[in-house]
Amino acid sequence: MDVQFAKIEGRSVSYWVTVGLLAAATLAGFIATLIMNNHGLYLSGMTNRVPWGLQISMAIFYIGLSAGSLVVSGLYGVFGKMEYKPFARIAAYLAMLFLIAGLLSIFTDQGRIDRVFTKPFTFVNPTSMFSINPALYSGHIMICVLYLWALFKEKGTLTKITSLVVVLWAIGTHTGTGAIFGFVPRELYNSALLPPSFVAAALSSGAALMILVIVGLSRATQRHLDDELIIWMGRRLLSIFIVVTFYVLLIENAHRAYLAYSHEAGLFFLFGGTHSFMFWVGLIFIGCVVPAVLLFIKKTGTSVPWTVFASVLVVVGVLFERFLIVIPGLIHPPELFPGWEIADAVIWEGVVNYAISPLEILQTMGVIGAIGFAFVVGLKVMPLAPTEARVLPAK
Amino acid sequence: MKRSTVLTEKNRGTWATVFVGLILLPVVLSILKPLWAAEPEVFLEPADERWEACLKDPEYMRYRHMDLLKEARADVLRDGLKGGITLAGCGDCHQNRDLFCDRCHVKASVSLDCWGCHYYLTAGELEELEQHEGGGQ
Amino acid sequence: MDRRDFLKRSGAAVAGASGVLSLPVLSSCTAEETEVASNLRGTKWGMVIDLNRCREDCTECMDACRQENNVAYHGDRRWDVHWIRKATLHPKDESAGLEEKEVLLMCNQCDNPPCAQVCPVQATYKRLDGIVVVDHHRCIGCRYCMIACPYNARFFNWKENPDWPNKGYPRRSHGVAESCHFCSHLLDGGGRPACVEACERSGARALVFGDLNDPESEVSQLVAAGGAKRIREDFGTRPKVYYLGL
Repeated sequence: MDVQFAKIEGRSVSYWVTVGLLAAATLAGFIATLIMNNHGLYLSGMTNRVPWGLQISMAIFYIGLSAGSLVVSGLYGVFGKMEYKPFARIAAYLAMLFLIAGLLSIFTDQGRIDRVFTKPFTFVNPTSMFSINPALYSGHIMICVLYLWALFKEKGTLTKITSLVVVLWAIGTHTGTGAIFGFVPRELYNSALLPPSFVAAALSSGAALMILVIVGLSRATQRHLDDELIIWMGRRLLSIFIVVTFYVLLIENAHRAYLAYSHEAGLFFLFGGTHSFMFWVGLIFIGCVVPAVLLFIKKTGTSVPWTVFASVLVVVGVLFERFLIVIPGLIHPPELFPGWEIADAVIWEGVVNYAISPLEILQTMGVIGAIGFAFVVGLKVMPLAPTEARVLPAK
Repeated sequence: MKRSTVLTEKNRGTWATVFVGLILLPVVLSILKPLWAAEPEVFLEPADERWEACLKDPEYMRYRHMDLLKEARADVLRDGLKGGITLAGCGDCHQNRDLFCDRCHVKASVSLDCWGCHYYLTAGELEELEQHEGGGQ
Repeated sequence: MDRRDFLKRSGAAVAGASGVLSLPVLSSCTAEETEVASNLRGTKWGMVIDLNRCREDCTECMDACRQENNVAYHGDRRWDVHWIRKATLHPKDESAGLEEKEVLLMCNQCDNPPCAQVCPVQATYKRLDGIVVVDHHRCIGCRYCMIACPYNARFFNWKENPDWPNKGYPRRSHGVAESCHFCSHLLDGGGRPACVEACERSGARALVFGDLNDPESEVSQLVAAGGAKRIREDFGTRPKVYYLGL
C-alpha cells in the first residue's frame, strides 16, 4: 500500500545540460526585463491601443495550468483515489510553481516594477480585480506550501483538509483571473461566461500537462508507470474537460455574435483576421476536436502515445485560447459612435495589429526557464517523484 | 545515495547560526555605525535666517521632511489644496539641488525618484542650461 | 469622502484583504486628527464641446494641452500620448445622406469611472469635485485602466518624454498611465483648463467649462437646454463631457 518517493539521481549529462539551459533562459529573461524596465515598455510590441500582450496571455496560461495540476493532486487527497497518490506531490509542487510563473509574468510586465512589491499591498482597491487577485494568488501559494508539507510528512487528515481547501481555493483563483477580463466594459471581454470558460480551459490544459509531465518523468528516470493510470486520466478527466471547454466557448461566441449589441465584434472575433484562424484551427480544431476524438475512440484513447499526443494538442490549443482572451478584445476598437466609423488620425482608431517583440519572447523564456529550473532542481533535492506507479500497489 | 558531508546532523546548529548571523549583519552594522562614522553634516543653503520664513526648524526638517512632503503631496493631489509646500518651493531658497537634497541622500544611500518629473536642477545642470541659453543668443 | 476617510477605508481594506502590511497606512491615519478643509466638495466640473463651433484644421486646444501638461510626443502613433485629440467620423450607412464630421475626443471624466474602479492601487481616483486624477507617484504601470476605459482615452508612457515645455508642472516618467485631468492644477489655483482658454483665445469658443452643480453656470444651462449628448451613455459611465452638434 505504501508508495515510495525518491529524489532523482541527477548526475547524468543530460540532467546538467537541462539545468544549464534553463538557467541560461532565466538569465536571458532577467536581462530582457532589466533592459525593458530601464528604457521603457516601448521595447515590447505593445502600443497605446494594445496595452496588454504576450506576457499577460502567458500569465493567465500559467495560472490556468496550476488548476489542472491541483485537480490531479486532489484525485488522491479529495476523491480518495489511492492509485494517484504517487503523483500528488509532483502535482502540488507544479501547481505552486505555475502560480509563481503567472505572478512573475505579471510582475515583469509592469511599467514600474520598483513599486510592484510595495504599493499594491499598502493601497488596496477593493473594487479592482487586480487588487483582489493578489490576495487569492498569495493565499493559493501559501496553501500549496502547507499542502506539500502535509504530503511530505504523510499527515493523513491534514492532507485531506488542505487538498480540499486548495481545490476550492483554486476555483476561486481561476474565477478571479477570468474576472480580470470578464468584468471590463469591452465588447469582446465583457462576459459572465469568461470566468467559467477560464476555469474549464484551465482544467483541461492542466490535466493535459500533468499527463505529459508524468509520462515524461517516468521515461526519463526509467521508473515504472502503469499505462492504466494515464489512460484513465486521458479518457475520464481530460476528455470531459475538453468537451466542457468546447461547450462554454460555443455558447460564449454564439451569444456574442447573435446579439445586435455585440454582433459586429462577435463576427470580428470569429471571422476577422489572423486571430480567427487561431480560433478555428488552433483552438477549436487542434485544441478541442482532434484531442476529444482521439480520446473518445477506443483504439487511440487506450494507447499511451496517442493520449500523450492528444495532451500536447490540448496544451497548445489552450495556449491559443489564452492569447485569444487577451488580444482580439484589444485590437478591436470600441464602438464610440454607433453607426459611424472613426478614421485613423493621431492614434489608430480602427482595428490595429499586435506584433510580439523579441524582448517579450525572451521574458517569456525567462519565466519558463525559472520555473523549469525550480522543478528540475526540486526533483533532485526533494523526494517528489514516485519510485513506481501501479494501479494496484504491491502489498 | 551518498550523504552530504558539508551539512550533517551534527553541524546543523553551526550552519543555522552562520545563516542567521549573515541575515542580521546589516542590521547590527547599521546600529553600530555611529561608533565609527561621523554624523552627516546637514547643509542648509542659504545659511542665513531665512529658514524661519520657511517651514520648520532645521532639526525637524532633517529628520521629518519626508513626512511634510508626503502630507503636502496628499493635500495637493487628493484634496486640491494649493499654496502648500512644493518641491519647486524648496528650490526658491535652496537653489542647488545637489547641496540641498543629493548630498545627504547619496551619503545615506536613500535613492530619490523625484527629478525625472519635477523640475529642480543641480548646480551642474543649471550651469549647463545657462551656457546653453547663452550660446543660443 | 475626504482624505482621512479615504486612508481609513484603504487601511480597512488592506486589513480585510490580506491582513498583513497594513501598519503604514493605519499609523498614517492616526497621526493627526485635524480635519482637512476641502474646497472641492460641492462642485462638479464638466465641459460642453460645441462641435458646430469647432473649426476644421484648428489645433489650438491640443497644442495648449501639450504645452501646459508636458504631454509626451514622439512622432509615433504607437506611443504618442493625446489627452485631447481630433478624429473624423464617416457614416457607415451613406444612404441616409449623413456627411462626415470631426469630433474632439478626450477623457470623458466619467462620474462612474471604470478606470478608477479597476486601479489596483487607487492611483486613479475621483476627486471630490468629480475630476478623475492619476497619482503618478503611486501608479505601478499595470495598464488595467487602459483596458477598462471604454473610450480609448487613457494613455501609457511607453518611453521617456523628450520634452519639458512647462517647467512648473511635472512630467511623467516612463511606465505610468495618464489621461486628461481637466488641468486640475490650474483649477485649484482659480484658473481654467488650458484647452478652454486656448479655444477662447482663438475666438471659436467651442469648449465651455464650468460647474455642473451650479444651475446658473453656462455648462448647466447648455445641458439643460437639451441637445447635449454624451458618448455611449449606455455604458453607464455617466460622462461629464457633453457634446453639442454630435
